Amino acid sequence: MGFQTTLFNDMRPFGVMAQVMVLFAACAGVVYGAEIGAVAGLIIGLMYDCVLTTPLGLASLVLGATAFVAGAFPYFVRDSSWWNKAIAVAVASAVGEILFPIAQAMVGLGGWVQWRIFAVATVVALINMVLAPLLMPVVRWTLKETLVG
Amino acid sequence: MSAISAKRKRAIALLSLTSIIFITLDLQGSESTSVLRGTFGVFFRPIEGVARVITRPVSNAWHGITHYNAVTEENDLLREKIAQQEGAAVAAAASVRLSQELLALNGLPTLAGINSVSAQVIGDSPSNFSQNVEINQGSDSGVKVGMPVMNAAGLVGKITKVFPRRSIVMLITDPEYALSVKVINNPEAASPISDPEASATTSSTTTTTTTIPKPQPTSNIPGFTPGTTTLPLTTINVPVSIPSLTPTLTVPNNGALPIRETGILEGRGPSRVPIVRFIDSAQRFGTILPGAPIVTSGGSLSLAPPDIVVGTVSKVTDRLGTSGPILEINLVADLANLSFVRILLYQPITEQVKP
Repeated sequence: MGFQTTLFNDMRPFGVMAQVMVLFAACAGVVYGAEIGAVAGLIIGLMYDCVLTTPLGLASLVLGATAFVAGAFPYFVRDSSWWNKAIAVAVASAVGEILFPIAQAMVGLGGWVQWRIFAVATVVALINMVLAPLLMPVVRWTLKETLVG
Repeated sequence: MSAISAKRKRAIALLSLTSIIFITLDLQGSESTSVLRGTFGVFFRPIEGVARVITRPVSNAWHGITHYNAVTEENDLLREKIAQQEGAAVAAAASVRLSQELLALNGLPTLAGINSVSAQVIGDSPSNFSQNVEINQGSDSGVKVGMPVMNAAGLVGKITKVFPRRSIVMLITDPEYALSVKVINNPEAASPISDPEASATTSSTTTTTTTIPKPQPTSNIPGFTPGTTTLPLTTINVPVSIPSLTPTLTVPNNGALPIRETGILEGRGPSRVPIVRFIDSAQRFGTILPGAPIVTSGGSLSLAPPDIVVGTVSKVTDRLGTSGPILEINLVADLANLSFVRILLYQPITEQVKP
């Protein structure tokens, strides 16, 4: 999260911020399945909520749902390669980025539901697809002894 | 295996429920969520500081690659602008001071009478769906929720969250931001209203020489004069019965005064410019032209004191009926490059917390 609020906050390709927290949740889902992914996503989201200005708990629910969606991937592809997983992470990230303004609208912050969210989701998906193969070993290492074991 | 799965499902349900409870508490304005955020910040700030130091070379390299041409172009442009404005700044400062003195003499609110705190922008919101910046001044410096924030150019936003040594500023472009503003239309653009009685009276009383000096612009916004310092004046030489004295009365010419109409400014996100709605399409106000300045309207219920420059009209979209036009606004403050801001220690009545 330190990288999210510093490095990725400054680097904004096409004016869109890379979402490492969404990436982490999606990777957790793809690597360990829906249940572990959802728990990881909810916890990551709760931490992320503490630095956001949106209502506390909103990012938690969104990242939990994102990881759950990503966790559906192992049900469809049994022997997946690294690029299959990267595409699954990209799709889940796009879903997460679209869910976030919708969730904001559901709690009364409706101004963010615009056509722009699709452009944002596309850019975030592409960035996360590139970063996913780098982050997956990190996710395996961090969650190995905690939620999984 | 099924026991582990049941345990995980219970964890998911518990965490989801916790999130929903937190959302409810936060939307109700509960203090507990602020405490939680503050406590998390105490532990997270050092980590963030270390991450910032580690990633700074990468971040600098990225900015060097992507923004080099833009920075050099901007540098040239700024040099030219500084040269143009150096002379005008002295005259403008004198005019603003005069305006503030006049307003103070008449018991009207001025920005000079409001204390302010300078702050540095230390971070942006790490989300694509909020328009906030973080500044390094908080409740220890007297900053409170609702206070307007401006930079050297004009209004930037308002304080939405306050911690002891930092605050969160919601920018004008955030869709949740709304503010009462005034559109100052040029008198030339307004439609004249013919009033036979008034014209008859005027013609019978105005007799001798009348001189209307052209207003001297003291701002780089066309048609805008800060405060009321350069209102056009009409000088009427009135003949009186005492032959040795010829006193001169100076009265404002109402027909040449800038016409003001209020509306509501609303942010629309980073990719779209803010708009002003609910402008009354009154005949006296006339046609609004691009370039007309927008300033805060003030008033007891307004979020900001009067006459803070917000921007200029960039596009006017007329609507049928009495709904009035929609104005798109070019903000004078460059929200993408905020470094230092000033917080006016003015808390609107609507934002004050009742004890």
